[in-house]
Amino acid sequence: MLKPILLVEDNPNDLELTLIALERSQLANEVIVVRDGAEALDYLHARGSYASREHGNPAVVLLDLKLPKVDGLEVLAEIRNTPALKSVPVVMLTSSKEEQDLIRSYELGVNAYVVKPVDFQEFVRAIADLGIFWAVLNEPPPGSHRYVKPQ
Amino acid sequence: MSETSSADDLAAAIAACERERIRTPGAIQPHGFLLALSPQFAVLQASDNLAQFAAIPAEQASGCSLAEVLGAANARLLESRLATAQRHERPAYLATVTLANGPCDVQMHEWDGLLILEFEPAAGSGSDSADPQRLYALVGTFLNKIGATDSLAEMCELTAREIHDLTGFGRVLVYNFDEEGHGTVLAECIDQGYDSYLGQRFPASDIPRQARELYIANRIRLIQTADYTPSRLLPAENPLTREANDLSFAALRSVSPVHLQYMRNMGTAASMSISLVVKGKLWGLISCHHAQPRHPSIHQRTVCEQLGQILALHIKNRADADELQFRLEVRRAMVSVLGGLTQGADFIENLRSVLPELLRFARAGGVAIVIDDRLIAFGDTPNEEQIRALADWLGANAYTDLFHSAHLGKDYPPAADFAQNASGLLAMSISRIHQHYLLWFRPEHVYSIDWAGRPDGKHAAGSLQLSPRASFEIWRETIHGTSTPWREGELELALEFRTALLGIALERAEQMADLAEELSHANKELEAFSYSVSHDLRAPLRHIVGFSDLLLEAGGANPDPVRQQRFLVNIKESAHLAGKLVDDLLSFSQMGRAALRPIKVRMSDLVRSCIDKLGPDMPPHAIEWQLEPLPDIVADPAFLQQAIYNLLSNAVKFTAKKNPAVIRISSEQLPGETVFHVTDNGVGFNMDYVHKLFGVFQRLHRMEDFQGTGIGLANVRRIVERHGGRVWANSVPGEGATFSFTIPHNV
Repeated sequence: MLKPILLVEDNPNDLELTLIALERSQLANEVIVVRDGAEALDYLHARGSYASREHGNPAVVLLDLKLPKVDGLEVLAEIRNTPALKSVPVVMLTSSKEEQDLIRSYELGVNAYVVKPVDFQEFVRAIADLGIFWAVLNEPPPGSHRYVKPQ
Repeated sequence: MSETSSADDLAAAIAACERERIRTPGAIQPHGFLLALSPQFAVLQASDNLAQFAAIPAEQASGCSLAEVLGAANARLLESRLATAQRHERPAYLATVTLANGPCDVQMHEWDGLLILEFEPAAGSGSDSADPQRLYALVGTFLNKIGATDSLAEMCELTAREIHDLTGFGRVLVYNFDEEGHGTVLAECIDQGYDSYLGQRFPASDIPRQARELYIANRIRLIQTADYTPSRLLPAENPLTREANDLSFAALRSVSPVHLQYMRNMGTAASMSISLVVKGKLWGLISCHHAQPRHPSIHQRTVCEQLGQILALHIKNRADADELQFRLEVRRAMVSVLGGLTQGADFIENLRSVLPELLRFARAGGVAIVIDDRLIAFGDTPNEEQIRALADWLGANAYTDLFHSAHLGKDYPPAADFAQNASGLLAMSISRIHQHYLLWFRPEHVYSIDWAGRPDGKHAAGSLQLSPRASFEIWRETIHGTSTPWREGELELALEFRTALLGIALERAEQMADLAEELSHANKELEAFSYSVSHDLRAPLRHIVGFSDLLLEAGGANPDPVRQQRFLVNIKESAHLAGKLVDDLLSFSQMGRAALRPIKVRMSDLVRSCIDKLGPDMPPHAIEWQLEPLPDIVADPAFLQQAIYNLLSNAVKFTAKKNPAVIRISSEQLPGETVFHVTDNGVGFNMDYVHKLFGVFQRLHRMEDFQGTGIGLANVRRIVERHGGRVWANSVPGEGATFSFTIPHNV
């Protein structure tokens, strides 16, 4: 069983576009969608409405930076400060390449920082690359064959 | 004897001289005699020359009555005068008695419990001028004359002449002591045959310290002849104190043998000196010399003392007036400097613009300002390197407020290299934290002093005992490395100037800090603004492009009409949102700039108009408005309406799922402010995130659940804060929220 991808996104349009992009990258991983930072932490800590979810950490967290309630940086900080979650790869998705956000993200130990491109094709490519690297290449599940991106 | 040891010996000898008990010599000058009486007028002590004047030897006088010593008639006169006379610590004329060898003037003063009577033969040396009537008329004339003088020199000259004419002394000098105690002869009146001392200096060592102190207390003293044999008091001790009599104020007090030798060396038999005391300090002396013994009468001396006091008073007035004038000028310069310093924004540039005034302020030849790496020099100054080294030295020696020297080379040896430009230094630290200095330089002032004999002349070579100097030959000394001295008034005003300067610097620093804070506040808002633009405005654009791309590629293969329809709706909504974001951002930025125009506002009407305005956007659900009576307040109605509208539309938005929705508007009065509450029974929010509620583009809910750009509450906060009020919110999730804000009574 492949570990799922956790997608944290509040904006419905971005959510739809990201899901389309993930779908096109033909990843076999299940995508779990949560809609704000607080819900993301509930999922990761397997608490609240996620108390009874299947055990285990996601293959990668795709984390939007601006989120209601608890923002992306706060979620990232908590992941890195929680021993059980510390090693989960986190990719920050953001609308803008604000330097302060970038610096802060790397300080907090983000694995990748991606500015959502305005061009949709580029966006699809970026999401696909990320998914492949973090969900597949980074930790090939035993017994599964390596995914080869169609040219 | 080597030079060093002789210098040490000299110092020791001077110290010994300063220890000499001049107040308690135990003897008097023998041209008169002394009787010390008990308060009951019994004779307790007498001078040992009593027998020359009276019928009884001094040894037998103790315990006698006045009558037994001076005869019944004299005793009656004295006792009646003593009974009524005021008693002073300074001798005052009491009576004239008639003794075997003629009339004697009697002075009396009270000291250490004794009544001290001093008797002197009444005939003064200058027979005619000794007449008291004429003498006291002279004082009035003198007062008129001195009032007409124009200068200090003239005043002193006049006084010297008057005293010369009055007493017949062959040489009358008026001299003034400088800070170090050296005396300079300002005026003289001399007879033929007397050397002139005008303009010469007498070293401070000529008059020992304790003599100076006595000169301040006792304003006149006479030595009738340098060749006298002191007349001892019998018994030697004051029977009341069991100590040698303190003769500080006695007119006949015997003087130090060292002084008598000094007089003989000078060729003077008789001397009289009158103290010039100005503001409690020994400003100078009127010194009278005569080649032969001379005995001015008590009355003559009293008049001399009065002339001295009149002169001292005029000197004081003159000095006060001069000082006042001087300070006025310095202050004028200071005011013009300070005025210049408040002109521009840059403190150092301001200083640069007032350099000529700075020079004038300290009557200096050059001025330098040292602030960190910046050095401004103006006029005649040492070079840059020398100034920096000097500033380092000042810093290292922790001269905090002011440092001044009129002989810089002595305090700071490297200054010898630039003595010509800067023998005088006035340094002012102009920062409490850094080593920043304002330096004034005065040029070298080379001058010569004509000493009346070498200043160290008291030391006679080869003798360990101190003897007064024997030479009064002029000895010319040239002084290098000094500037004109810094006057007390200058230093005081410099301190005042420093305080003002630091005040200006401090005020400027505070202004800068305020400005910086304002800027950083504005900057933060700007950052938040641009951050929001880059995040929130990009999102709808990205969505428009994304869904358009999807539509375009889906158009060919297998079109899904439902999906395509949704994409079109997404595109339309994104475009709408982008437009609304731009509008909101614009209004938010205007909110920060527009001026507030507070007037009286009827809150009830204002809230009702907001509810009406919400009508067209009203959701389909029913809303129960609970509008409590609201007070009138003073605020900007346009801004306040926007704030209320935002709060009410928020309440409407978050009660969409309630039926019925209840929204209550209420108020309460607190000291100095009115509080308004908008309470709803909507979804509420988690209090954990209350700190984010009023931030720009912060949302606590998903986009599709509740529409909005996330700017409404940021606007509310901004409007309320510009009125000087506060905003806050409380909620229980699922049960509703209360948003509150205050408007102060004095907007």
